[in-house]
Amino acid sequence: MRQAGIAATMVLAAMLAASAQSPSPGWKAAVVGRTIKLPADHASHPEYKLEWWYYTGNVEAADAHRFGYQLTFFRVGLDPAPANRSAWAVRDLFMTHVALTDVSGRRYHFTDRMNRAGPGWAGATVDRYRVWNDDWEATIDSQGRHRLSASTAEFGIDLSLAEDRPVVLHGERGFSSKGSAAGNASLYYSLTRMPTRGAITIDGRKLAVTGLSWMDHEFGTSFLEAQQVGWDWFSIQLEDGRDLMLFQLRRTDGSIDPHSSGTLVDAGSGLHTLNAGTFHLQPRAGRTWRSPVSGARYPVSWQVSVPSAGLDLIVTAAVDDQELHTEGSTGVTYWEGAIDVTGQSHSRPVQGRGYLEMTGYAGPSMGTVLR
Amino acid sequence: MRFFSWFVLRRMAQEPLRTASTALGVALGVAVVIAIQLTNASSLAGFTTALNVVSGRAGLEIASPGTGVDETLIPALGWLREFGDISPVIEGQLVLRQPGHPAERLRLLGVDVLRDRAIRDYVLLSPTATGQTPAPREFLSLLLDPSSAVLTARFSAPRGLRVRSTLTVEVGDRRVPLTITALLADEGPARVLDGRLVLMDIAAAQQVLGTFGRVTRVDLRLAADTSVDTAERAIASRLPAGLQVRRPAQRGQQVENMLAAFHLNLTALSYIALIVGLFLVYNTISVSVLSRRAEIGTLRGLGITRAEVRALFLGEAAILAVVGGAVGLLLGRLLAIWTIALTSTTVSTLYIATAAAPPALTWRYVLLACVTSLPLSLLAALVPAQEASGVSPTAATRGIDDVEPRPRFRLRGLWLPAMLLGAGAWLATLGPVGNLPLFGYAAAVAIVLGASFLVPAILVLVTRLLLAPVRRLMRVEDWLAVNNVSASVPRLSISIAALAVSLSMMVAIAVMIGSFRDTVSYWVAQTLQADLFVSPGARQQPGPDETLSPDVVDLITSSPDVAAVDRFRSIDVPYADTRVRVGGSDFDVLLTRGTLLFKAPADARAEMRAAIGQDAVVVSESFSLKQRVSVGSIVSLPTPHGSVEVRVAAVYFDYSNDRGVVMMDRSTFERHYGEIGASGMTVYLAPNVDPDAARERLLASIGDAHNVVINTQAWLRAEVLRIFDSTFAITYALELVAIVVAILGVAGTLLTLILEREAELTVLRLIGTTRAQIRRMVMGEAAVIGAASQAIGLCVGLALSLVLIYVVNVQSFGWTIQFHLPGMFLVQSSALMVLATTMAGLYPARRAARLTLKQDQ
Repeated sequence: MRQAGIAATMVLAAMLAASAQSPSPGWKAAVVGRTIKLPADHASHPEYKLEWWYYTGNVEAADAHRFGYQLTFFRVGLDPAPANRSAWAVRDLFMTHVALTDVSGRRYHFTDRMNRAGPGWAGATVDRYRVWNDDWEATIDSQGRHRLSASTAEFGIDLSLAEDRPVVLHGERGFSSKGSAAGNASLYYSLTRMPTRGAITIDGRKLAVTGLSWMDHEFGTSFLEAQQVGWDWFSIQLEDGRDLMLFQLRRTDGSIDPHSSGTLVDAGSGLHTLNAGTFHLQPRAGRTWRSPVSGARYPVSWQVSVPSAGLDLIVTAAVDDQELHTEGSTGVTYWEGAIDVTGQSHSRPVQGRGYLEMTGYAGPSMGTVLR
Repeated sequence: MRFFSWFVLRRMAQEPLRTASTALGVALGVAVVIAIQLTNASSLAGFTTALNVVSGRAGLEIASPGTGVDETLIPALGWLREFGDISPVIEGQLVLRQPGHPAERLRLLGVDVLRDRAIRDYVLLSPTATGQTPAPREFLSLLLDPSSAVLTARFSAPRGLRVRSTLTVEVGDRRVPLTITALLADEGPARVLDGRLVLMDIAAAQQVLGTFGRVTRVDLRLAADTSVDTAERAIASRLPAGLQVRRPAQRGQQVENMLAAFHLNLTALSYIALIVGLFLVYNTISVSVLSRRAEIGTLRGLGITRAEVRALFLGEAAILAVVGGAVGLLLGRLLAIWTIALTSTTVSTLYIATAAAPPALTWRYVLLACVTSLPLSLLAALVPAQEASGVSPTAATRGIDDVEPRPRFRLRGLWLPAMLLGAGAWLATLGPVGNLPLFGYAAAVAIVLGASFLVPAILVLVTRLLLAPVRRLMRVEDWLAVNNVSASVPRLSISIAALAVSLSMMVAIAVMIGSFRDTVSYWVAQTLQADLFVSPGARQQPGPDETLSPDVVDLITSSPDVAAVDRFRSIDVPYADTRVRVGGSDFDVLLTRGTLLFKAPADARAEMRAAIGQDAVVVSESFSLKQRVSVGSIVSLPTPHGSVEVRVAAVYFDYSNDRGVVMMDRSTFERHYGEIGASGMTVYLAPNVDPDAARERLLASIGDAHNVVINTQAWLRAEVLRIFDSTFAITYALELVAIVVAILGVAGTLLTLILEREAELTVLRLIGTTRAQIRRMVMGEAAVIGAASQAIGLCVGLALSLVLIYVVNVQSFGWTIQFHLPGMFLVQSSALMVLATTMAGLYPARRAARLTLKQDQ
């Protein structure tokens, strides 16, 4: 689960709900047994309060110029049925983060955007998959390929992603329980290995690229309990065909929350759920990066071990500075970036790439904000 | 310098009254000019500063003629991002009525705060979590509720409003409750309009104004390296039909053009007072020269050059101008408070809603005061100063240099006035210059100047004609008075000319206004035929979105008292370089029930009936004259879907606004501008229904839910004339100042004459003339002066009124006025004027009487 999204949207939703002085009933809660069907469920679920589509990936140009990219669309419901019939009445807010890591050039760019649907300059359709924010868009074409396009003054991405591997449904067939309190759950699936091709525009040059992407789509109404300081989330695509998703929640007392978990997808697409305690995520001493903007200190290299899968990995940021500042949208500062993975699988060398998300290192703890 | 102080300053100090009255005359003249400039600036300033600040950093804006931009077109304008950031904006007017405060108009600004921060900065008084300039999402949370509004601290504090206060505003006929969620600090957009700004979310603004589906405009902040010209051209070529790109300042320009005629007329009037003030300078210097010829002769004999003599008198004029200008500047600022109050009703009734406050006295106005008083005063003094420099040293000292012992009537002196009057007549036949009647004003100036140069000749003739009958029929002191006037024609003619000029203006304006009022009152009686007139309570003339609610319209239409209604809608659209009014009205009802007064063609009613459902319109006379269109012309009107060509079916008389009205049948209007609410309704009652009773019943059935104003025919007819009178109040006020200045001149001149005639008066006393007789004689002179001025003023005034009615008004406002002589007014004002001038002789008369007594001792 992409917790930065949750955190940001929950903070925002709480704030907006408080100001509007209505607890906003009228949103649907995630329940067990709702089956997830694709491609229908790629489309928007406006009956749920929160929803996001999260793409990350590592791509390379023909000249081996390497990039990492992130494109995230958030939909945050504010009022399921606005009394005002104006097209500008705010039912949902659409927030988008787009980032490009020029790994070879060791540079990082990001931009964020927030819009109401208004007369149609942002939105997410329900009949087919299309989510957009001005001219930034994610949609599915007639061949079933995901098309991502977002361009800013500095850079642009225009990518086509294939659904190569079967969908990974998290939790109980996509029903993902998030806490001990009843109803704190979401519907959550991932496409963990999407062969990607397209173009990256940077410095006025357009480069053809290929690589692998990862997509998360999650929707629900109430997810979180408010004692977490932050979390560390890993998505790893290994060269041996295995995909690994792991996250740990850091609690206020410094302990690791028991709801931390993970999923291992083997090369034959078999799923193995990893519960807290069956994996270890440990920052490597002496490998931290201090953000000159937020002052936060991020561990940019990790020791990752999953004994049951025989995995012992070292995860290192492809570029240290991959911190986002999203004052224009979610307002959360977090680190999300491309990573290199090396290590051993059952004592044989293995390599991979992926994405790492680290939240709660900058600003007040999410728990404080939520309380 | 010592010489100057001896010759000029001491002399000025010796005659404090004359010096003071001349300086005061210049001061009043300058004051009126400054006051009117401030007034004109204020009516625009309210609008343009609001425009500039509310436009924020928007370099261009996308607008649509009529009711605003169709919001469904906005997503397709995504390509505008190539040029910069866009933000849709809704603007409107709200009326706030609070107990203990008069109704106040507030400007509503509805924006999408998520987009708008690129264009405008909002600084909150009470900082939020992220400081005084809140993050967009935080700001949105303050505005999300449809009743949330952010007001300015400047407006709220004095009215006891604070965060969480609730208030009810009126829009059209609706009452809307709002809650204040934050206050804007006193900077940026909050500073304009004296803080009368309400900031709301764009969705809430649409709901409050009832303008669903439309935004007022889309503001565009150009990217840093984009040139406005290039962007404007590029965008214009890509916009779909019906959308226009323009600079925010163009709106200001259109309003400025709209007000140009009104402002020019005020400016022209203000200069009359100044010209009269300059006459005073001319007069004072002339008298100074005349009475000191012997002294000048001595000076010349002592070796003072001609140039030095000229400089002495110009120096005197300069002192008068500087003192007068300085006093006038300050006086003008004070006067402006009053003139703005007089004009702001007119401006906001007829043109734009404006917050009138006098602008600060900037260097521009100081410069204007200097430029108007100093060079013009020197120019006025040049002729007498030149004459002084021509005094021959020997002749003057020997006393053989009599100026003009007895005025002679010389025919060859008449060529100048004759030429000027001829030029005046010719100028009056020329057309306008860009809708401004510049030649008309030139004609008026030529006539006034021509008449002024005729004054000596007229005075000589009149006094000669008067002498015999006065001697036979009246007392000897009256005969003496006429004789004295006759003997002092060269000295008096300037004062009399000044007085006559101001009086002629007064007469001309009285005749013009009288005729106009008569015409309007006839027009009102003919055209205001409906029994009741319904309008939204919070509506003032220029509010485009202030409409009647559909349920109110239905309620009135279905009332058993009502036989027929005409729902009309009017909007402002840009046309040429100004804004005109486009109206939609039910032609059938208008033809069968109401009565338009048509100018052309002869079968206008049939033409109008044929226009129903067609792209044919009837236009007001002012539109026809200003845009130079006539029956059969094709007019290209901007609409939300591009330009539409309409044919002019008829031209009708309309005095309700000078900008021009294009009226079409409601069906045609809705076809081009969409179905939008009614701005008002005219109601024709069933037979034998009492209008007052019907009005009460309708108001009762509407109840408190809506604020609707229903006026009866009688009330509205009176109201039209009341607005008319208030419009011209400023005109009378300005004229009054000119007359006061002129009377000051008469008093000053008389006093000088008395002082000069000390010896003569002493002789009169010695031969047994009583003090009462002396007084009567001097008062008699004043009366003769007054009567002569008034007589000349009447004649010139009538000529000027023709120029005003048939040239200036037609060209600047596009109105046909039927000439009508307000006889009673002229008789009364003439009597009053003669009385006033006679009274102006009171002080000189007393001085004369006292002076004689002193000589006795």
